[in-house]
Amino acid sequence: MLKRTFTAMGTEVELLLDAGPGARPEQALDRAEAEFERLEQVLSRFRDDSELSALNREGRLETASPDLVRVVELALAGRESTGGRFDPTVHDAVVAAGYDRSFEQLGPEGESGAAAGACVDSTQTACGGGFRIDGSAIELEAGTHLDLGGIGKGYAVDRVADLLSQYGPCLVNAGGDLAVRGGSWPVGVTDELTLELTRGGMATSGRDRRRWRRDGEERHHLIDPATGRPAAGAPLRVTVVAESAAAAEVAAKAAFLGADVALPHVFVTADGETILAGGLA
Amino acid sequence: MTDTSHRLYAVVIAVVIFLVSWAAIAAQPWASAKTDPAQTALAQREQRLRADAKLVQRVVDRRLAAYHLALRARQAQIASVKAQAAAAQSRAAQISASAAAVSSSQSSPSVRVVNLPPLTITRTS
Repeated sequence: MLKRTFTAMGTEVELLLDAGPGARPEQALDRAEAEFERLEQVLSRFRDDSELSALNREGRLETASPDLVRVVELALAGRESTGGRFDPTVHDAVVAAGYDRSFEQLGPEGESGAAAGACVDSTQTACGGGFRIDGSAIELEAGTHLDLGGIGKGYAVDRVADLLSQYGPCLVNAGGDLAVRGGSWPVGVTDELTLELTRGGMATSGRDRRRWRRDGEERHHLIDPATGRPAAGAPLRVTVVAESAAAAEVAAKAAFLGADVALPHVFVTADGETILAGGLA
Repeated sequence: MTDTSHRLYAVVIAVVIFLVSWAAIAAQPWASAKTDPAQTALAQREQRLRADAKLVQRVVDRRLAAYHLALRARQAQIASVKAQAAAAQSRAAQISASAAAVSSSQSSPSVRVVNLPPLTITRTS
């Protein structure tokens, strides 16, 4: 079993490839690592020179890369399928909540230059702004900005898993968003619960990590598009299993915000209770 | 007798000269050299009309060419809009399919609870 870990997309990435040592598998892991870097350069909102930043700045990209088009398509599809609970237009709300730079750079108090508030206050754009895709062109409604953080890692994980699967059964895990191809992979969900995944993806969304304090108030990165503020009163975290990591990410966020999800999923409540649902037992 | 004959000849000659002169004057040979002002006016009008017709033809040709040009541009515009509409329709179908895929991925959970040590963990991403 080959293993490689590195940092990308603001999190720790783990690649597991069930192959013997050799030059080809090592090259495959190199390619996988490079693919993460390439996709981060397309999808990151924290890099000024990324394609997504250009789109958010200009409001329109005439010839977006196929990856950006695909992720935006998936995001649009995710918004439709979850009735708006997953919404990539929460960008301004996330920034207003203080998450205006990569998490490593964000101080524990979330000190930032962004105005405090939510995307629904009078100075900000409401969530749910329009965006459309026309061939390779992507256009945002005036005042709309996209945050693909809720789906981009899952997409990258799926892409890299496809790439690595040519060399053997593999698992790709980017900070909890993971995909497997071939083989069977026991994945720890809680200290007491392990799920064996044989294909597809898994993702966890919650308020137990990526949180900070701002103006004496605790905030986290999961914005409820209905209020434009970090979701309140939600479970501690939700883990969802789906056909792909991207689909699992979308479903996990929707489930965290109260959507009914028929996929296998695990709730962890605020008081630490673990609830299996969606066919898991 | 001779004087009478001469007189007669003289009279006949005079009559002949008179008749010839009469005929010559009646023929009005000078009349053909004169131009009829009505005909001249008609000819001038005809020339003017021909020139006007040529001018009108040129204007019509120019306008027809411009019309054909605008028609081709419009047809290209219509074709482009139709192509865009078809692409948008196809894109919408793809997005619907993606949405269906996202929501229908509920079908085959290849996952089960096991009692094994985990190889990796999932956590809030």
